[in-house]
Amino acid sequence: MADVMNVGVNLEAFSQAINAIQALRSSVTRVFDSLKDGMKNKETLEGREKVFITDFQDNLQAVNRDLTELERLSNLVGRPSESHPLHNSGLLSLDPVQDKTPLYSQLLQAYKWSNKLQYHAGLASSLLNQQSLKRSANQIGASAKRRPKVQPSTLVLPIQYVDDVISRIGRMFPDMSIELFRPNGTSAVLLVTLGKVLKAIVVMRSLFIDRTIVRGYHENVYSEDGKLDIWSKSNYQVFQKVTDHATTALLHYQLPQMPDVVVRSFMTWLRSYTKLFQTPCQRCGKFLQDGLPPTWRDFRTLEAFHDTCRQ
Amino acid sequence: MGVTCVCQVPVVEGKSVQQTVEQLHKRLEQLGAVKQGSFFVDCETYHATTNTGAQPSKLLYVMHNSETPLSCLVLFDGGPTLAADANFDVLMVKLKSHFQNAKGHKVESRGARYRYADFLIKVGTVTMSSSARGISVEVEYSACVVPGDCWNLMKEFMQSFLGPSVPDLPSVFSSKAEGLFAPADCMDTMNQYLELFSKIRKQQVLPGSGVR
Ligand SMILES: [Zn+2]
Repeated sequence: MADVMNVGVNLEAFSQAINAIQALRSSVTRVFDSLKDGMKNKETLEGREKVFITDFQDNLQAVNRDLTELERLSNLVGRPSESHPLHNSGLLSLDPVQDKTPLYSQLLQAYKWSNKLQYHAGLASSLLNQQSLKRSANQIGASAKRRPKVQPSTLVLPIQYVDDVISRIGRMFPDMSIELFRPNGTSAVLLVTLGKVLKAIVVMRSLFIDRTIVRGYHENVYSEDGKLDIWSKSNYQVFQKVTDHATTALLHYQLPQMPDVVVRSFMTWLRSYTKLFQTPCQRCGKFLQDGLPPTWRDFRTLEAFHDTCRQ
Repeated sequence: MGVTCVCQVPVVEGKSVQQTVEQLHKRLEQLGAVKQGSFFVDCETYHATTNTGAQPSKLLYVMHNSETPLSCLVLFDGGPTLAADANFDVLMVKLKSHFQNAKGHKVESRGARYRYADFLIKVGTVTMSSSARGISVEVEYSACVVPGDCWNLMKEFMQSFLGPSVPDLPSVFSSKAEGLFAPADCMDTMNQYLELFSKIRKQQVLPGSGVR
């Protein structure tokens, strides 16, 4: 077990501070209780007011006293040390009941595994890429030298680079407007408006598309507090279906070494929905099947099909 | 609110209005449409009493739609339209000296409301002075806002339960096929109902077609 003092927290003061918070809460409750009860019955009106005001003053003073106490204690508590190599998750290692909840060791294991996985996936993808260009296997020797180059670095691209890629794609498609938001730190969220047909919200991690949701042109994309609503699905069946297909497209367009190409391919594919309501199915020639227009777009040819008409 | 088309459906020969309506219900249910409550649209006609000179007196239509139960929709003949609070009707009573209610001109369409994928279908019996005079069918495709974009798709849907006699693109849209359907109110829909009501009013009364 680690030494308690490592945490940099004065535990004595800490428990006192918790008591002080409880005291403060109960004194605040007393203030509102007395306000709620109103004036007590006394012979004269003046008497009533007087008692009420003194009670109120006493209660407020009690609040003040508890607050000062809490402030004094909070200075004594001190700050947790920030020098821990794994930041706050390092605090898990201080858990005295290690044997029952081995969270920390599991966390370290998981971290090690994910690092290894990323490294091996990078190697595999570089090998596979080479095979697709040069069919013979005699390049493996050369690729072994290049190995150290392969780093899982695409997850930490500079913000400026991401912005540039997105704005370049936006300029490629004049009928598609792409707005970029960063509501939570560095990850970008794109709001794509396609003609007067649909709006798509694309949640990015660096240059990788994490998830996407498609709604009607006239549906809300902002929630009541004015933030982009990246969760609620569309009210319309047709756009729920398009959302499903767009998620499939995210899995289809994969090229870990060139994430910008992936984003561009996805946007090109999404753009083929611009005539969602105007294009009949390429197989059955009809507009509707089960009340829905052709919601599927072929990944290669971008042709429109009903979900059940595609092969 | 998406793109809406209101049209009149002829009564099948040898059948009553009620029987034709039931036949439409059955066809919709066979398609897979699900009944979702009922609807009504009504219309009162007023004419201006302050008639100046040779011009024929202007007509004013006060309409209600169960989709917007808190509003009263007012349409001037060939003029401006407005969506008012529901108690606009009371105001019209106060304006008696300027606008006279055309007695016996009240028209309404009442019936069932069906939902099929993103379509909303309303089959209504049009009644004038308590006699059934015709059938109205309103089809709304709520996922799209541009009439010109989804018209062929709507036409295909309407053919699937109305047969080949499907109307042309409603004239309220032909002037703005590329533009947006007014999403905030249902004026384009009300205009179509108004057109349909006046068409039905001009028709001969069907013999023996009392309500129900
Ligand atoms: Zn098809």
